[in-house]
Amino acid sequence: MEFHDDYPQYETMYQHDEAHGKQIRSKLWKVFWLLLAITLLELFVGFKATSWGLLGSTFLKFFFIFFTLVKAGGIVLVFMHLIDETKFFRYTVLLPYSVFILYLIFIILVEGTYCGYPLNKTSLDKNYKIQQIVLRKHHKQPIPAELTDGINEKDIAAAEAAASTETHGE
Amino acid sequence: MSHSVQIDEKTAWHGGQSPFRLSYGKIFMWFFLVSDALTFSGLICAYGFIRHKYESVWPVAENVFTHFPFVTAHVPLAYVGLMTFILIMSSVTMVLAVEAGHRNDRKGVTIWLFFTIIGGLMFVGSQAWEWYHFIEGTEVGAMRQVWDIDQGKYVTQLIHGANMTYNEYGVPQFANFFFFITGFHGFHVFSGVVINVVIFINVLLGTYERRGHYEMVEKVGLYWHFVDLVWVFVFTFFYLL
Repeated sequence: MEFHDDYPQYETMYQHDEAHGKQIRSKLWKVFWLLLAITLLELFVGFKATSWGLLGSTFLKFFFIFFTLVKAGGIVLVFMHLIDETKFFRYTVLLPYSVFILYLIFIILVEGTYCGYPLNKTSLDKNYKIQQIVLRKHHKQPIPAELTDGINEKDIAAAEAAASTETHGE
Repeated sequence: MSHSVQIDEKTAWHGGQSPFRLSYGKIFMWFFLVSDALTFSGLICAYGFIRHKYESVWPVAENVFTHFPFVTAHVPLAYVGLMTFILIMSSVTMVLAVEAGHRNDRKGVTIWLFFTIIGGLMFVGSQAWEWYHFIEGTEVGAMRQVWDIDQGKYVTQLIHGANMTYNEYGVPQFANFFFFITGFHGFHVFSGVVINVVIFINVLLGTYERRGHYEMVEKVGLYWHFVDLVWVFVFTFFYLL
């Protein structure tokens, strides 16, 4: 059974000719080079972060988040053609998503401090701190004061010695 | 593209046409992607929440992902940079396949879709390699305190690599979130490759040629770009920050 009405053929509405296709392709390649350049910039900054003393800084966090959103915009608007859709459709896709996720981020930032930091302040937490100190020492990175707080040198030396004996023993 | 047809806002919702000027299939691919995006955002928010809780002892990604194939040197971020490049590249080949489809250029669609599938397979393979090295760990390893039920106290144990219980790089939650989120994303890439292959076979058989339009390529393209989009966020929150 077939059903016919004068419903428009949306599937073929977006087709175009060769000349128009050339324009579109040049636009797509431009966006690709932009994405690649941003990725290389991010990698370079990430690679240099330790030597510039920026590791874990607020500036670095917002730097990365900003460029991530730029890349996401490039992909959604150009590669997925959302910019070419009707205004109704753009809002139908973006608004519900934004409302939910902005609220989720808001509620995590506001209420997240109630989760009892850190849960286990005893032996386990100390162990993680020593682990991080040994790892950072191994990679010759600066060790923040909050890591060495409450940890004595003897424990660190013991952890390092134990790890090296085991390695040589293998 | 200048194809964005202006619609009359007064009559758009009166029936007999799509107020979005889109076909049913494309609208619902977008709605599916919105729901999938909500899932991934929820996971990444949870990751941020736990990471903030263990901020002082959270491992630096640079110290964890340091391997590169055929190189013994310490090269942090290089491998994940390569993976990102592969995925962005396959996103471009996919958008070129969609563009060729808009011109009913069967040969163009075939070539670009083929490269997209190759890129997807390379990405899945790279992720397997990354997981392997994360699970294997380093030779040095790390000390871990384990509760010994017989002795009734914590005893020291040397561990290598990562699994769901512990990892040598720091708090276990780091490995848990890494496995879950990159695994979930990797599964999306894998299913994307499978769907791409199905569409590719249909292109070869000339199904869309007969149908008169390549909208299926466009729909699977939306999904493929979404996978790339998620990776952009995973890359930032797991490797860069």
